[in-house]
Amino acid sequence: MPLPRWRTNRSWLWIGLVLLVLLYVIAPMRVGPRLTLGLAPLIETLHAPANWWKQTSLWFQSRRDLQQRLVKAEASDQKQAAMIEELRVQNEENRQLRKLLSLGVIAPASWRGAKVIGHSPDKESTRILLRVDGAHSDDIVASRDGLVGLVDSVDQGHAVVRTILDASIAVPVTLPGGTLAALARGEGDHIIIDFIPAKQAPPIGAVLVTSGAGGLFPAGIPVAQVSAVEHLKGQIFVRVTAEPVAHWQRDSWLAVAIAGGKPR
Amino acid sequence: MIPPLILLLCIVGVVCNLGFSGFTVQPDWSLALLLACVLAHRGNWAWVLPGAFFHDLALQWTVWMCVPFMVLVPALMALVDFQAGPGLPQRYFALLMTTIPLLYWGWGFDAWLLTVLLCLGIWYILARHYVWT
Repeated sequence: MPLPRWRTNRSWLWIGLVLLVLLYVIAPMRVGPRLTLGLAPLIETLHAPANWWKQTSLWFQSRRDLQQRLVKAEASDQKQAAMIEELRVQNEENRQLRKLLSLGVIAPASWRGAKVIGHSPDKESTRILLRVDGAHSDDIVASRDGLVGLVDSVDQGHAVVRTILDASIAVPVTLPGGTLAALARGEGDHIIIDFIPAKQAPPIGAVLVTSGAGGLFPAGIPVAQVSAVEHLKGQIFVRVTAEPVAHWQRDSWLAVAIAGGKPR
Repeated sequence: MIPPLILLLCIVGVVCNLGFSGFTVQPDWSLALLLACVLAHRGNWAWVLPGAFFHDLALQWTVWMCVPFMVLVPALMALVDFQAGPGLPQRYFALLMTTIPLLYWGWGFDAWLLTVLLCLGIWYILARHYVWT
C-alpha cells in the first residue's frame, strides 16, 4: 500500500519546527495582556446595548423611586467627602511626624474608581479588564471587601489586572495587631500562606491583612480568610490555605490606588 | 468564504467571553468554532491554527492551553484515518482531547459542556456544507 502524501512530504516537519520556534519566541513576549487591552474597545462596544437599556429603563421608574435613590446617593456622597477630608488631615499629620523624625516622605496614593468591563472566563476570574484613567503598572486594585490584585499593564484608559489568585503575585501579610510575617500567593482557585511558624498558626476564619513590608502594598488591607491549617510533621511551618476576602467576580466597580496621583 | 467568516466570529467569541463571563455561563465560542472546522475538514488546519493562537493568547495569556492539542488533531486524524479508515471515534476523541484542558484552566463544567455541544452542532453544519460543495 503506498504511503499517503502527508507521510512522505517533509513540509509537515518544517511546519512543526516553525510552530515550535514560534511558541518559544511568543511565550515570554507578554502578548496576552496587549491583546486583551486591544480588545477592550470591542468589549465596550458589545456592552453598549446593555448600557442603553439601563439608561432607557430609568424612564419607566417612578419619580418617588428615583428621588429616594438620589437622596441615598447624596448621603453616601457626603459620607465619602467627610472620609476623604479625614484622610487628608491624617496624611498631613503623618507627613509632619515623618519630617520631625527625619524619615523619608512617602508619596500618598490616591484611590480612583474603575469600571469593570471584562473578566477572564475562568470560574475565579483571575484577570480583570478595567476602564480607568491615569493608572500605571503595579498599581494596587481593591474592592470594598479587600485586596483584588495588581495592575499588569495599561493602555489608553484601560488596564488589565492580575488578581491575587494569580500565581505570579505574592503579598506580604500579617494578622492585625500581631507580629506574624507571612506571604500570601495565589494557587489558581485559592491562596496559600507561606512561612507561618507552627507556634503562630492562625485560627480558621482569621483574616490576614497586608503588612506593608516591601512597600508595594499599603498596610492594613484585608487579603485572605484562613480556611484550613495543616500541621506537617517535622516541618517548621504549617500549611495554611485561605480564600480571598474580596469577591470581584460580580463587582461592577473597583478602586485603583494611583501612586502619586491626584484624587478625583 | 468560510475562513474569514469563522475567524471573524472567533474574534467576536473571544470578546463575548471576556466581556460577559461575569454575568452568565457561556461556552468557549471561538474554540468550538475552530475545533468544529478542523473536525469537519482536517485540511482547514492551516488557517485554524492562527485562530487557536489568538484564542489562547487572548483568553489565557499563554500558548499552552489548546494550541498543542489543535496541532495534534489534524495529524492524529490523518494517521488514524489512514490506519483504520475514516470514522467518527477518532474525531470524538480529538474533540474531547482538545476541550478537556478547559477544565484544567479553571473553566466550569457547565461551560465545558456547552462548548462541546456547540462544537458538535457547528461540526454537523460544516460537515454537511463540505459534503454538498
